[in-house]
Amino acid sequence: MKAPTLRLAARGLKRDLRAPDVRALFIALVLAVAASTMIAFFLDRLDRGLERQAGQMLGGDLVLEQSEPFSPELRQALIDAGLVLSDQVDLVSMISREDRFQSVSLKVVDDVYPHYGVSHVDLGEGVEEVASGPAAGEAWIDPRLRELVDLKLGDQVQIGQTELRVSGIIEREADQSGGFSSFNPRVMMNIADLEATGLVQPGSRVEFEILAAGPPEAVNRLDDRLAQLRREGVEVRDVRQDRPQLGNALERAESYLGIAGLAAVLLAGVAVAMATRRYVERHLDTAALLRCFGATQRQLVHIFTLQLAGLALAASLLGALLGVLGQALLLRLLSAFLPMSLPAPGIMPLWLGMLTALAVLVGFAGPTLLRLKRVSALKVLRRELDPLPPSAWLVVSVACGVFGGLLWLYSGSITLALGLLLGGIMVLSVLWGVGAALLALLLRGIQALPKGGEWTQALRLGGRQLARRRQAGLGQLLAFSITFFAMAMIVLVRGDLLTTWEAQLPADTPNYFAINIQPGEREGFDAAIADSVEAQSSLYPMVRGRITAINGQPPREAVPEEARGDNALRRELNLTWQAEVPEGNRVVAGEWFDGWQADATASETAYSQGGSGWTAAVDAESQPPPVPVSMEDGLAQRLGLALGDQLTFSIGSDEVRTKITSLRDLNWDSFRPNFYVIFPPGVLERYGHSYITAFHLPKEEQGILPELVSEFPGVSLLNVDAILGQVRDVLTQVTRAVELVLGLVLLAGISVLYAALTASRPVRAHESGLLRVFGAGNRMISRIQGAEFALLGLASGLLAAVLAELATAVLYMFLLDLPPRLHIELWLVLPLGAALLIGVIGHALSYSLRRQAPAASLGLLGEA
Amino acid sequence: MSNSFTRTSGTSVNDTSILDTPILHAEGLTKRVASGERQLTILSELDLTVLPGESVAILGRSGVGKSTLLGLLAGLDTPTAGELSLFGQALSELDEDGRAMLRAGRVGFVFQNFQLLPSLSALENVLLPLELSPRAGEEGTAKDWLNRVGLGERVTHLPKQLSGGEQQRVAIARAFVANPELVFADEPTGNLDPHTGATVIELLFSLNQQERTTLILVTHDHALAGRCDRCLRLEEGRLVEFDPSEVTA
Repeated sequence: MKAPTLRLAARGLKRDLRAPDVRALFIALVLAVAASTMIAFFLDRLDRGLERQAGQMLGGDLVLEQSEPFSPELRQALIDAGLVLSDQVDLVSMISREDRFQSVSLKVVDDVYPHYGVSHVDLGEGVEEVASGPAAGEAWIDPRLRELVDLKLGDQVQIGQTELRVSGIIEREADQSGGFSSFNPRVMMNIADLEATGLVQPGSRVEFEILAAGPPEAVNRLDDRLAQLRREGVEVRDVRQDRPQLGNALERAESYLGIAGLAAVLLAGVAVAMATRRYVERHLDTAALLRCFGATQRQLVHIFTLQLAGLALAASLLGALLGVLGQALLLRLLSAFLPMSLPAPGIMPLWLGMLTALAVLVGFAGPTLLRLKRVSALKVLRRELDPLPPSAWLVVSVACGVFGGLLWLYSGSITLALGLLLGGIMVLSVLWGVGAALLALLLRGIQALPKGGEWTQALRLGGRQLARRRQAGLGQLLAFSITFFAMAMIVLVRGDLLTTWEAQLPADTPNYFAINIQPGEREGFDAAIADSVEAQSSLYPMVRGRITAINGQPPREAVPEEARGDNALRRELNLTWQAEVPEGNRVVAGEWFDGWQADATASETAYSQGGSGWTAAVDAESQPPPVPVSMEDGLAQRLGLALGDQLTFSIGSDEVRTKITSLRDLNWDSFRPNFYVIFPPGVLERYGHSYITAFHLPKEEQGILPELVSEFPGVSLLNVDAILGQVRDVLTQVTRAVELVLGLVLLAGISVLYAALTASRPVRAHESGLLRVFGAGNRMISRIQGAEFALLGLASGLLAAVLAELATAVLYMFLLDLPPRLHIELWLVLPLGAALLIGVIGHALSYSLRRQAPAASLGLLGEA
Repeated sequence: MSNSFTRTSGTSVNDTSILDTPILHAEGLTKRVASGERQLTILSELDLTVLPGESVAILGRSGVGKSTLLGLLAGLDTPTAGELSLFGQALSELDEDGRAMLRAGRVGFVFQNFQLLPSLSALENVLLPLELSPRAGEEGTAKDWLNRVGLGERVTHLPKQLSGGEQQRVAIARAFVANPELVFADEPTGNLDPHTGATVIELLFSLNQQERTTLILVTHDHALAGRCDRCLRLEEGRLVEFDPSEVTA
């Protein structure tokens, strides 16, 4: 490129910075880059943060678990891959103090524990953060053991054949492995003392765990080996798959942020397209003059491309800077949830931002810019010789193509990008027709208004002005409706997301679980808490049972390879019976057991097969049909089970044959008792069972707890306030993040309004000049302009409401996993709000035009 | 050819050594445009030769095709038929870009409506043609030219801050700044009052003489035409030579 071209471009850009259209272009590009980089930076770091958190909850980036010690060869393989190992042993055992006994869940840790995070432990001087486990010879205990066996700090406690000194009361463990599955109170001890306890014997129920920590590449390297381990029945948990339970809300937030970011980019694109039109019109004379002075088409293209590229570069830098600041703000908003030691933001999102700016410029401005190249030098002699504007189809197709590319880049899914794109083009063509019809209808309505009052006259005149520029008006109508649509959609989705989140965890979400309530204590317990609790789930009976056969085969052979190590096959499941579908559950396939009756004559014996063979009353021929059961859909999918599959459970000393007759969807984040498998009433009652319930106990009522514990010593009370609080924190913070992004989208929307009004300024100046010449007063002109803008706003608002309603329905069903609903408020707020907003902004932006003398206004049109 | 007008003698041209090489030569130039269903002939087999250093006035009534002719001569438009060469180069052999490059730095323009870019200062407007030539960046040159047209104090002013006469003086400075061989002027006083127009014309001719530029002037003002070496009238698509003193007398 020749130096003169560069110099011309540089000078041109410098001069152009004064022009409103260039400013609009610049602002739009900055917003596009800021939105895309901010969200890319943030999601990048959030992703890493979530992985870290998952690691913390799991206790490592990779956790292996089996019922026998791991081979030295496997340990070496993990170390060679670059992982640091920590050993852990989990078992259920009895502890005793003097003459009191208690079943506990023992967690035996080594000196590496924990890989991530800290435990909150009272070591004698209040609760403190401790980044290790108990030392050899010591034990940390669950606070419940204070009441259950009267253990205090400094006491000796008997575990197996050894005695350990209680040196800490655990408030919260660094990792949450175990979760609710073990209802026994926790005792944590050092692995050095394990042998002395004598608890690990052949045949005893012990889980050996390796908690491994290391970079993602290290875990990736082990993929083949992990698959093999799964086939061998080892339970493999891995941060890449086992995200924290909070994932549901956050995944939606991530989708939301992604959509909002794209909406901002799209809006900025629309603003760029509108500003470019004015930019090109303003430069047609420059281009013609340059042609006259000897510039070639190539030079023209170079000059204007360089100018806009310079603008894009400056906008990228500023936008990226804002993006970095914005993501820092987002992270601050989420600080309590995200681990603080996040890696610094990478350079990748920065490139992404610049790419976005360029793509938006090329896609939304490119075809229009080419008009400058086609300017004839003869235009200097004959003003009317403007090159034809590019066909609307070309502009829309190129913009759609580029936007589709961005969609693909951001979503990583070409199907989604293509789908949205094709849908978008179809919607746009329909919109063009609908918009034209709507505008015509509106204008006809206005003209039919009775003559009289100044306002009616202003409306009629404003409407006529709009009608005169029907094509341009239609363009603006579409741009405004897309803008309002995007803004409305982002607000709506935000509202519905938040409502869903709030509904998910209402104020009276259970904060206590009571387990091990004996059948005889059921009524007494209910009565004891009735006056204090605010909300209580039903009491669910609970029977423990293990799956021993699937369709007559051993479970591990009947399920897909990757499910062989699944917890559900390795442990006893909590089974319950219910006559009705429990609250929060939804049957997604098959039928609930309505009308199913246990065979009265056989009920005592027929469904079960005694451990020592068939019970006397039953022979092979009279074997009753299997018991229908309802299974949780997720588990069925994991185990590759479907309706009609038969499962045999070992319950007590019996084997119970069952058949899956329904699949249920349920919300695991509900803080209510949830069950994988539910039986119909009449089958499990005769086995030993206890009850479980969850309730919300307000803080001021928590004084009843000691009484409750002493009255029902066998009942275990689990406080989940801490976990509940954490989930609430995350939701609050994610909400704030969502609001920040929403603000950005609104800004992008306003940039569209600004660009559109800037673009139409000269024409309006000319019109108001003419009106003035013909004797219209300032007030009249002001009203006519206000009316014209308000009409445009009203029509765009209506169109946007249609669009938003359709789009949110699609979005809810396919992307956010929420049930669709009708938004009646939309149909009122959007048209009126848009009429008001466009009316006021347009009217205000035209203020200076109304102040101009008619000669100046008339001169404005036609000048470059 | 009966309708041709070809200069054969060198009257009033100072430099005789390059007289034989015309700076502009048109032969059989025809321009037809579509007007609804039928074709409208604006220029019909027109011939013209202009030698270096000459000043030529083209007169004609409004709408007779003066501006069309100027556009063709400057290579801004293409003829329907006929041959045209500029600086010895046949324009039919060049595409639009080639014609633009031929003009770069060698042709200046003065327009009736000034054609200053409203967002550029006087200085920036004058700099525009310089920026396209390899000698660009000579801000000093541009300032000198503004001084020569008497606007040395107004370099930073935008066109809207200048009067019509001042705007046309900026345009004249812009036409001469790149030291062109040929200047086209299209009704340079058309938008000015007689007094201002006279000042501007004075300036145009004096600069033309000082710079020894060839000038092709399109006008309907006989007095103005009378200051040129030759006067041609455009009538029914052809050029006819006449003596302006006879008409005005």
